[in-house]
Amino acid sequence: MNPLWLMLLILVPLVGAMIIAFGSGKNAYRDALFASLASLVPAVAALMEFDFTHAGHYQGQWSVSWLEPLGLKLSLGVDSVALLLILLSVLLGPVCVLASKTAITDNRKLYYAWLLVLQSAMVGVFCARDLLLFYICFEFTLLPMFILIRMFGSTNRVAASTKFFLYTFTGSLVTLAGLVYVVKFAAERNGVWSLDIGTLTTAASYMSPKEQAWVLGAMLAGFAVKVPLFPVHTWLPLAHTEAPTAGSVILAGVLLKLGTYGIYRFAIPMAPVAFTEHAPTIAVLAIIGIIYAGLICWVQDDIKKLVAYSSVSHLGFCVLGLTALNANGLSGSVLYMLSHGFSTGGLFLMIGFMYERYHTRDMRKVGGLASKMPVWAFFMVFFTMASVGLPGLNGFPSELLCLISAFQADGSWTAAGEPGAAGVTLGPWYAAVAGTGMVVAAMYLLIMVGRICFGPKIEPEGHHHHEVLPDDLNAREIVTLLPLAVGCLAFGLFPGLLLGAIEEPVNDTVRLVEASHELSGPHAMADSASTAAEGVRP
Amino acid sequence: MIADLLTAPAWSALLAMAPDAQGAGGSHAATQVAHGPGWVLLIPFLPLLGAALCGLYAAMGVKSKLPAWTVIGLLAVSFVTTVAMATGFGGADGAAYTVKAFDWIQVHGEHNSFVANFSFFVDTLTIYWMLFVTGLATLIALYASEYMSHDVGTGYCRFFAAFSLFVFSMACLVMGDNLVMLYLGWEGVGLCSYLLIGYFYKKPSAVAAAKKAFIVNRVGDLGLALGLYLTYVHFGTVEYAALFANERLLHYVELAKTGAFDQIPMMAQGIPLLLMVGAFGKSAQFPLYVWLPDAMEGPTPVSALIHAATMVTAGVYLIARFYPVFLASELALPIVAWIGTITALLAATIGMAQFDIKRIMAYSTVSQLGYMFAGLGVLTPTGAAYHTLTHAFFKALLFLCCGAVMHGFAGQLDLRKLSGLRRVKGWGIVSFGMLIGCLNLAGFPLTAGFFSKDTILAEAFVTPGTAVIGWILIITAGMTAYYTFRVFFRVFVGPVEYHPGDEAHDHDHGHEDHGHAHGETHTHDAGHHGDHHGDHFHPHAPGWAINTVLATLTVLSIAASGLYFVGAGEAHGTKTKHYADTMVSASTAGYHSPYSEHAFHAEHGADHNADDGGDHAAPHAGVGPRGTIDEPLMLLGKDPHKIMYYVSGVVGLVGIVLAWFFHYAGRKTASECRMDKVARLFGPIPRWAENKWYVDEFYNATIRVPLRVVSHFFHWFDKLVIDGVVNLAGLSPRIGGWLIRPSQSGVLQGYAAGMVGGVAVLLVVILLVVRFGGGA
Repeated sequence: MNPLWLMLLILVPLVGAMIIAFGSGKNAYRDALFASLASLVPAVAALMEFDFTHAGHYQGQWSVSWLEPLGLKLSLGVDSVALLLILLSVLLGPVCVLASKTAITDNRKLYYAWLLVLQSAMVGVFCARDLLLFYICFEFTLLPMFILIRMFGSTNRVAASTKFFLYTFTGSLVTLAGLVYVVKFAAERNGVWSLDIGTLTTAASYMSPKEQAWVLGAMLAGFAVKVPLFPVHTWLPLAHTEAPTAGSVILAGVLLKLGTYGIYRFAIPMAPVAFTEHAPTIAVLAIIGIIYAGLICWVQDDIKKLVAYSSVSHLGFCVLGLTALNANGLSGSVLYMLSHGFSTGGLFLMIGFMYERYHTRDMRKVGGLASKMPVWAFFMVFFTMASVGLPGLNGFPSELLCLISAFQADGSWTAAGEPGAAGVTLGPWYAAVAGTGMVVAAMYLLIMVGRICFGPKIEPEGHHHHEVLPDDLNAREIVTLLPLAVGCLAFGLFPGLLLGAIEEPVNDTVRLVEASHELSGPHAMADSASTAAEGVRP
Repeated sequence: MIADLLTAPAWSALLAMAPDAQGAGGSHAATQVAHGPGWVLLIPFLPLLGAALCGLYAAMGVKSKLPAWTVIGLLAVSFVTTVAMATGFGGADGAAYTVKAFDWIQVHGEHNSFVANFSFFVDTLTIYWMLFVTGLATLIALYASEYMSHDVGTGYCRFFAAFSLFVFSMACLVMGDNLVMLYLGWEGVGLCSYLLIGYFYKKPSAVAAAKKAFIVNRVGDLGLALGLYLTYVHFGTVEYAALFANERLLHYVELAKTGAFDQIPMMAQGIPLLLMVGAFGKSAQFPLYVWLPDAMEGPTPVSALIHAATMVTAGVYLIARFYPVFLASELALPIVAWIGTITALLAATIGMAQFDIKRIMAYSTVSQLGYMFAGLGVLTPTGAAYHTLTHAFFKALLFLCCGAVMHGFAGQLDLRKLSGLRRVKGWGIVSFGMLIGCLNLAGFPLTAGFFSKDTILAEAFVTPGTAVIGWILIITAGMTAYYTFRVFFRVFVGPVEYHPGDEAHDHDHGHEDHGHAHGETHTHDAGHHGDHHGDHFHPHAPGWAINTVLATLTVLSIAASGLYFVGAGEAHGTKTKHYADTMVSASTAGYHSPYSEHAFHAEHGADHNADDGGDHAAPHAGVGPRGTIDEPLMLLGKDPHKIMYYVSGVVGLVGIVLAWFFHYAGRKTASECRMDKVARLFGPIPRWAENKWYVDEFYNATIRVPLRVVSHFFHWFDKLVIDGVVNLAGLSPRIGGWLIRPSQSGVLQGYAAGMVGGVAVLLVVILLVVRFGGGA
């Protein structure tokens, strides 16, 4: 694969942002749409040129030395997991721009420029092969989002943006400390300074379990906040609720995935032994999040807050899959990262469209809209069902795999199943308790759709027709929704394509974790690993 | 195709599985089940196309009956294809095959893989189920084309889209070749049920009922999902072809037959316990039955197809399909039997006290499903499947008759406000259909319902330890006959009297739910003026579509008893009694315990039909999972198979006579009858029964309210405690910052400085701890 495509993926939105920022601002919307569509071109090209038969190899590698003695390089490269996440980020670009046409009326220049910068930063995170670029982009996603919330959010935006920034920023600092420790460890071990992620990963597995535990803790401090994992989730409902629609879509679709991606890309490979050891604890937090956030959804009157909390609940499944550390779990989890944004993003768009017309998100003031907005209601029900995890739609395959993986990730009793790598001891109870999240999800989501779409029509007092928008969705809004709706169906019906594409990197990760236990010498995990091996034997 | 079959040794071995054949072929080889013809895919995908087209019509704003005709046409082709599949299969001698549409979920790991394709599995059980699913769906779509005609427009498109999508989902459920496909269909029918119960979405009660159905079903689905995981983890596959030929499973079944349950791992025994939770949810069994009566908020064709004939039998299908897995568990089938029995009895007591005829039918559905579960539990999947089929016909007929009444009398369903419809002009077919349906449901001798119920009842006395179940079911049969004919004697015979329902008052012809098409369906109005009460109400008799469907179903309900006498054959080397028996026994449900009729017949070589009955008061002696039996199993000193015809016949007749005496004889008006006086003798009990024994209220108080309180607590906790700690922590850097740096510095610079400083501090901390702390 030509590295040019990766560079273009970063540069095209940046250039677009420049043009908008230094332009007159009259055509900001049009220019942003053009730029976001234009970045689809390198994305498609990258997809076409990517060699999926070696999906685990980093392709499109490119690097330039910067400060040789310190090992500072700027290098790019993607495996299939990163590539697919990039595609997701790029695909959401035009959707976000389209969704903002009528919602954002003031300061468009600033808005669209930062939206495009955000896209660049997200792509940068996924295609970075050196720690410096990764961390810069990782942190830089904060700034555009902070501005989007701060300047274009709703009533409580100042508090929301501040909390969002400080919370995630503080977490990331701790992550940085952990990463720097890994760099230092690698430098001592190899005798040369390097920030290359591949080099660091290889070196990191020689850390003692104790060092790994500290590094893991540091990394999780940042990544868990991003995900967000219970109990460090409280910034998300606030940020989601106050963010403009496009901000929520990106937040749900990509930014949260930076956390799980970080765990997948850094925490697991760099601290495999510690991660295996602490997987049950992390899994328990994930499961608490699933149920706790789900139940909180149930008592929300603010529909956007409901969907925001549902993200906390959903991402719990994603983390649960990671903690199982087997092929099913990691595949399911990566699939979850890719697919979750389609349904939740769709719901945020639906809420945004409604909000533009009614200027309220309170389900006590607005509801029963199916008779007035049948097309809107159709999509609302559709995305709700996707979010519920209805088979045939996007939520199901990944949720199934994550739960199955937790169920089987206990080598002590399985007869035929694959245990978690090196004997992670989750087990049926983890899956059973997490599975109740499916029931809770049905409860809060169906109650939501029952209130907002069905029953007697309620409109806020003094409601007038929108000046521009019709009662029901207009063509632009439907076009905005279509990619997400098609995505929901495609992910639901043909997850096999994606699962096949990520098979190799996922299996590589599983192998790496298993190998790490042999490297790190005798310790507690060895016992359960051997039990697991017995379990495999028929 | 024959050649293909020969290359599937393991599968043949499975089909040939006699009690002594075990473990032939590994699970690996067994995955090579023959590939069937691609046109089988038309059966699920034509209805899906229908749903898509209806969606398109809705988008185009079609305002005609086009959606109905599209769906009817596609469903009819789907049905014809099913018939072709059935005739091409060759009955019990045919070998199962799979047809793959496309790859679905596949993960190939280092140690094992998870494979669930979008693929279909055809064996006799599939065919048996699909025949009545597609057949009834076609008929009921035709009925609905008229029934829903007042909604022509978007609502009509929406209705038929969901209807057609339902048939697709049901086909996936029944035909899927793995548990995940079954789960897809399972949730799919749940979705369609949700959409159709909530069809009248402006009505809060309909929305609530739809929600309740979905959520209660989700509880069951959780059980099913966990059963799926456990199946995968224990047997390493969720694909039927590999699963039912799995050496380990075959071995378990053999162990179970000798009663050696202690040698079967608990995990394997746990699978059916989880799967059955799903079955209880979908098939409305105790304690998850509460959603079904409320589901009657949906349009009546939906109640007939989904909530009586097809979807609710999915649980029966699931257990029949996984019968070997259920046999391999010590507790599973007894629990199924008892849950079924309790449900049958409980629902019958509630049914006796209801006044809404559609609700009575709903409770009778719950009750009859209980019979099917009891049948599965007392080791007669054949009886359960046969009862499923006959029940599908006569209950669809009963519902559609009720629907016709509801449609004609402006939503009136109260049996105290309708009487003597038989003599109202234009209601002949409905009344006759109702009579046939009631006779079947009441188990009147020689009706289809009689034979199918008897199969279950008799087997309850044959299987050791389940005689109590048999007696409860017999008593319930009497209650069933009573409440069934209570409806018939109140509504269809007696003095002519009727009061229109709410829709006559609330919704005049201009109402949006009863739009312009109303006039069209009133073509029969001109002719008749019943003895109606007061306000010049004209009931409109059903038109040709409804009458055609009712007549067809009446004929089918009568003809279904003929199935008891045809189709006897051989499966797995043992003789089968009739069509349903052949179809079930040749499928994966055809594993039998030593007590089963098959073992019995294999021993005695007797063909056990209703007429030639064979003379076998001989014992079902042997060793089996429920212990050793030395004594022949008898009922009133005779072979249960034989004597049951008389016992249940008499019980049914007694029920009918009681209904006649209390609800017909001497009744002068629609609202008053002898039963009123009797009911008073029982004090508050009839009112408790009418209020469904307050089960809903119980659930509300014990589950919903506490959970709601917890949720509010969590919400509060999240805001005040968890976020409170964060806010508190957020203050400290501000204070620190205020102390350190001058107040005018830029926010972002401050952050940058904080970042560098913070990283440095943390790094030092980590270094110190790792290097020097703890001394390790």
